[in-house]
Amino acid sequence: MARRLIYPLYQIGNPQLRIFRPPFSLTLVRPGKEQPQDTVQFRILMEMTKCDVRNYLEKIYNVPVGAVRTRIQYCTNKKRNHLNQKVKRPDYKVAYVQLAQQQTFEFPDIFTEKDVKSAEGSVEEMQEKFMEDEKQRQKPDLRRGGVTEWFGL
Amino acid sequence: MAATSVGRVLTLCRQFQNAFRISTSLAVQQSALTLTKSQSYLDRLTYPLLSSNWHCHVGQCRPLHTTISRRGLEGFFDIPENWGEATVKSGAPWTAKQLRTKSNEDLHKLWYVLLKEKNMLLTIEQESKRQRIQMPSPERLKKIERSMKRLDTVVKEREDALRLLQTGQERARPGAWRKDIFGRVYWYRFREHALPWYMNKRYKRKRFYTPLFVTPHIRLRLEKHLRAKTRIQNKEREKQTVLQEKFPQIKAQSS
Repeated sequence: MARRLIYPLYQIGNPQLRIFRPPFSLTLVRPGKEQPQDTVQFRILMEMTKCDVRNYLEKIYNVPVGAVRTRIQYCTNKKRNHLNQKVKRPDYKVAYVQLAQQQTFEFPDIFTEKDVKSAEGSVEEMQEKFMEDEKQRQKPDLRRGGVTEWFGL
Repeated sequence: MAATSVGRVLTLCRQFQNAFRISTSLAVQQSALTLTKSQSYLDRLTYPLLSSNWHCHVGQCRPLHTTISRRGLEGFFDIPENWGEATVKSGAPWTAKQLRTKSNEDLHKLWYVLLKEKNMLLTIEQESKRQRIQMPSPERLKKIERSMKRLDTVVKEREDALRLLQTGQERARPGAWRKDIFGRVYWYRFREHALPWYMNKRYKRKRFYTPLFVTPHIRLRLEKHLRAKTRIQNKEREKQTVLQEKFPQIKAQSS
């Protein structure tokens, strides 16, 4: 499918429009405001509709969709670049999808830091050990009760 | 694409959809798994695409799980082992040459696999922007985009060939050479309308003819264009003569 999709004109009696190989992509986003447990928030193309989103999720991802609500987020045209020209941040459409069959979805935490133990005897291990020793050495004296060394005595 | 191929592929698409719906949970997820894991994309060629056995030949494969957890929304995220990693290994994108060897069903399924991968990467990108962390291996997005574009090219080629053989039409979308108001000739591509053109008020405002008062300006525009072209050519020639004088041993460049 090309970038600019021109749909054929629909008149009553025409066959159902089918799009093979849809070029639309959805982005799952973490909700900025608190959403109910069954609501999933997506950013979609401006040209997509609620029906499109519903069919997309049902057919491609096998997700039971209850209700879909959309809104268009207008992004600023006020910012200016170094040439004092107005720079527009592109608008996007947000879709709030409620899952059917009383399912819940919670946005997972993807970027949790893993504790990586590097191999024994390698360069990284020695470096880490050195850094830890340095940190230990630079820790302030606990007996001073949090007061810095700057103050005399 | 939909307009031309709807009639022809309608019967096929139902079979696709049925096959797809039945096998989507298994096949697509498995193919996504084999794709998103740390295997080069080229290795995929050794795996038969349409076979029912998706065995991984290398030891570091993920165990395939056939249960659909979270009813499909897991497809928007990477596998849990890759969460928190700084880099995720991925192979080369699909080349047009490789894609031309695949059948239509394979390309159709591959498109959806690539689409799901793209959605996953976009999700990760947005989340990383929200958390103000660098996205792990952002080059995957470019690879996916290139693969999808090449797939599109290959499918277009096949459709063109089919259309030429069956009907003799060179273009999928009809059009005509038309003159706009400024006297420039361009390829106007037709659109579908519900009314005939003489009843379409918006279309009649477009004016595909040049008014008489514009014709002298067409000549002026042509002169300007020719003047600019000769200016560039003369400049190039002068540059070559200067170079020859300064460095006589250099061979004259063929322009």
